[in-house]
Amino acid sequence: MLTPSQIDEFRAAVDPDGIITLKSQLQTYECDGLTNLRALPGIVVLPRSAREVQAVVRICARHKIPFVSRGSGTGLSGGALPAEGGVLIALTRMNRILQVDIPNRFAVVEPGVFNSQVSQRVASSGYFYAPDPSSQPVCTIGGNVAENAGGAHCLKYGFTATHTLGLEVVLPNGELVSFGSPAPDASGYDLTGVFIGSEGTLGVVTKITLRIVKRPEAVQTLLAAFDSPQAAGQTVSEIIAAGMLPSALEIMDTLAIEAAEAAVHAHYPRCGGLLLVELDGPASEVAALMPEVRAICLANGAGEIRLAQSDEERALVWKGRKAAFAAVGRISPSYIVQDGVIPRTALHEVLAEIGRMAAEAGLRVANVFHAGDGNLHPLVLYDRAIAGQEETALDLSYRILRLCVDRGGSITGEHGVGKEKQEALGYMFAEPDLDAMQRVRCAFDPEKIANPGKIFPRLHLCAEQAGPPTAHPLETPISAEAPS
Amino acid sequence: MSSSAVVSLEQTAAHLASIVGEEHTHLSGQTISAYPANASEIAEVLRFADSAGLAVTPTGGGTKLGWGNSVAAPILLGLGRMAALREHSWHDMTCTVEAGCAWNVMQAQLALHGQMVAVDPLWPDRATAGGIVSTNDGGALRLRYGSLRDLILGMTVVLAEGSITKSGGKVVKNCAGYDLPKLMTGGFGTLAVIASVNFRLHPLEKHARAWTATAPDPAELRAPLHALLDSQMIPCSAQLRMGPQECALDVRVAAVPECLREHEVRLQQIFAPVALAEPDPSVWRARESLFAQPGALVLKVTLLPADLCSIAAELRQQAAKDQIELAIVAQAFGLMTVALTAPPDAAFLFVERLRARLRPSGGSVVALQVPDSLRGRLEVWDCQSNALPLMREIKRRFDPNRILNPGRFVGGI
Repeated sequence: MLTPSQIDEFRAAVDPDGIITLKSQLQTYECDGLTNLRALPGIVVLPRSAREVQAVVRICARHKIPFVSRGSGTGLSGGALPAEGGVLIALTRMNRILQVDIPNRFAVVEPGVFNSQVSQRVASSGYFYAPDPSSQPVCTIGGNVAENAGGAHCLKYGFTATHTLGLEVVLPNGELVSFGSPAPDASGYDLTGVFIGSEGTLGVVTKITLRIVKRPEAVQTLLAAFDSPQAAGQTVSEIIAAGMLPSALEIMDTLAIEAAEAAVHAHYPRCGGLLLVELDGPASEVAALMPEVRAICLANGAGEIRLAQSDEERALVWKGRKAAFAAVGRISPSYIVQDGVIPRTALHEVLAEIGRMAAEAGLRVANVFHAGDGNLHPLVLYDRAIAGQEETALDLSYRILRLCVDRGGSITGEHGVGKEKQEALGYMFAEPDLDAMQRVRCAFDPEKIANPGKIFPRLHLCAEQAGPPTAHPLETPISAEAPS
Repeated sequence: MSSSAVVSLEQTAAHLASIVGEEHTHLSGQTISAYPANASEIAEVLRFADSAGLAVTPTGGGTKLGWGNSVAAPILLGLGRMAALREHSWHDMTCTVEAGCAWNVMQAQLALHGQMVAVDPLWPDRATAGGIVSTNDGGALRLRYGSLRDLILGMTVVLAEGSITKSGGKVVKNCAGYDLPKLMTGGFGTLAVIASVNFRLHPLEKHARAWTATAPDPAELRAPLHALLDSQMIPCSAQLRMGPQECALDVRVAAVPECLREHEVRLQQIFAPVALAEPDPSVWRARESLFAQPGALVLKVTLLPADLCSIAAELRQQAAKDQIELAIVAQAFGLMTVALTAPPDAAFLFVERLRARLRPSGGSVVALQVPDSLRGRLEVWDCQSNALPLMREIKRRFDPNRILNPGRFVGGI
């Protein structure tokens, strides 16, 4: 609980209108996109500059008050869930694009800038900012950095980490530091790289240098209807085996198509598995490769194949895909979005297993996924009003994540661990692995005041001396890591 | 064994031999080379070294042991026995390779399935995966495929006190937990010993062509290079080579065959009136020739990409004035390898001037190969970062007894 004198200190640190203490207003910030987890912060501060962020964090450091930073709160793993009674730093007022350098292909932005605004700003020069999470019109670059956000086009273009050249960060002790540079390979450890995806546990980002990319000359989007998502998945494998690197390869199953249709009328073909293939690049190259994609689709039993004929048609195709999560609300009163990753080749088996597990639990699971990089978004549908069903749904969603790990994958591709998947992280990594990560945490934040209680499954103290080494499961027996 | 215990060289050698085997331990002068067979043996060696307070330098092919500050470590941890491509999941386009695997050996095996790790490092016949990752080395391919760090999916590393840990994974998309491989990439073996690396793979380029434009002055290539990078063409590589007389820009493009001709026409338009010629494939290994010049100081210069040609032109003028022999191989994304042969004072001044020139725009000058005449005088690293104390703290958390390559890295890390 914050004391009145602490609240006065925060008042002095930011603009008078940059403080929220009224309970009714604090409730706006009690959760992020994972709305079933809620906690009321003691205060919300809305700084306008790095200096103000520094002042706020210094107060937190002095009194060991936990703080959580956030942007628009579109995250889906509870990463921006406030620390109960602690400080919430909302970065939405730091929303300026500070510099655009077209010849050197970078832009410098504040953390509260919306993802889409970067692309809009550089569009007239023929450039764009590549990572495109579905929430891109409203999610902030600061949040993207925290979660290492991806999106539908990261198969070809990479993630937030690929496109971030440098950061300015307020460390949990209040120091302002810079990592990286618009020039490549700054000397020293790659702190930009390790900070991205650290989910607000290593400090508060106050400035980001982003790489921008030339907008491709041509973009073609093809929809192919299959009997099952498995057939669509096989097509994806063959497209990639043919040496192509499409900018997007997305699959939706029947339930997801139904939901998207109900929400945005994307005019998708009704089928068991819908594949969306997008090629971009030089016009002649796209023109040469699209017939090859079409042939692979046909060879795998595609029924209807449709090429978007205009930018409007293409936009509609994407609108349906990007609205898929929210659209599921049309066909189910409640749902859980998951974010597992599997090796592409395990798709067939994993989808079948998810189907079996869902049937066993008596629930429906809609599947939307970035098939090119094996990133599944199973949507577990349930009804909160039915006693016990939420628990069953949660249990099913976690078992799906464990299934992804068992098949050589990951518990999260782009949503982050947050508050939601902490236990699953303990399933994916052994204690020595987590301990190595904690060393980074302790170097940045020995008092553990930055977004405490997130990511890691267990409490960890930053002892000065490491304990005796514990054996890693890899150590015994060695032959367990035999080549395949 | 406590850290205060004094261990003789012979005792150390005997202990290491008991871990990795007599035949895999060599004593030469004041250095013991030990060659572990697997991560568990690395862990055993490090546990011993950590408790005895003995410094360890990990090494693969030994091609870049001279990079960074000099370290006189009594234990040279050779990874040459850990040289297998452990897994190649070609359908998933990923692989796991042991740290001691020579780059070309790995690439040859990946090529059996038409794939590659899209990085072109120095001396790929001898340089190993672990060493390349530790020094963050890579060549011209980065323009198209991104930097080495972006192609690494996960790693297994052994920490100083002997913990074997893994981070990242084997899938191309993964944000579970901190991205520790980013810290290890370019960390010069100061945080942990890399045991194996998981890479993302790309298809081999089936159809590619290269062209070279030559001009007397690099400044003349500035506009065409800018136009090329601002065009719809996506070259795999674009490289500026500059010697005392010649100055050339090499461009390599991979595409479906029907597009290559079109790309050529576009390139001719961009470079007109300069004519294009087909270069010898050896130009893509031009970086290596810079290190081969006897007594040369070799620098890694990072700068804003748009400044590449103008800085090259400035350096050439400066070199001519100071009677410095200069050669440059520069990649279009803002990275130059510069070799200079000059009296020590002139070379020293050249580096200091260049550092001051590039600092305001975030560039840096790191000395990779330093002739004896400048060793100890010229600062190898060029780190102006206010995050240096944080880097030191990370080092302390990973290696509190400072046994891994102590002093080799920036700021004495």
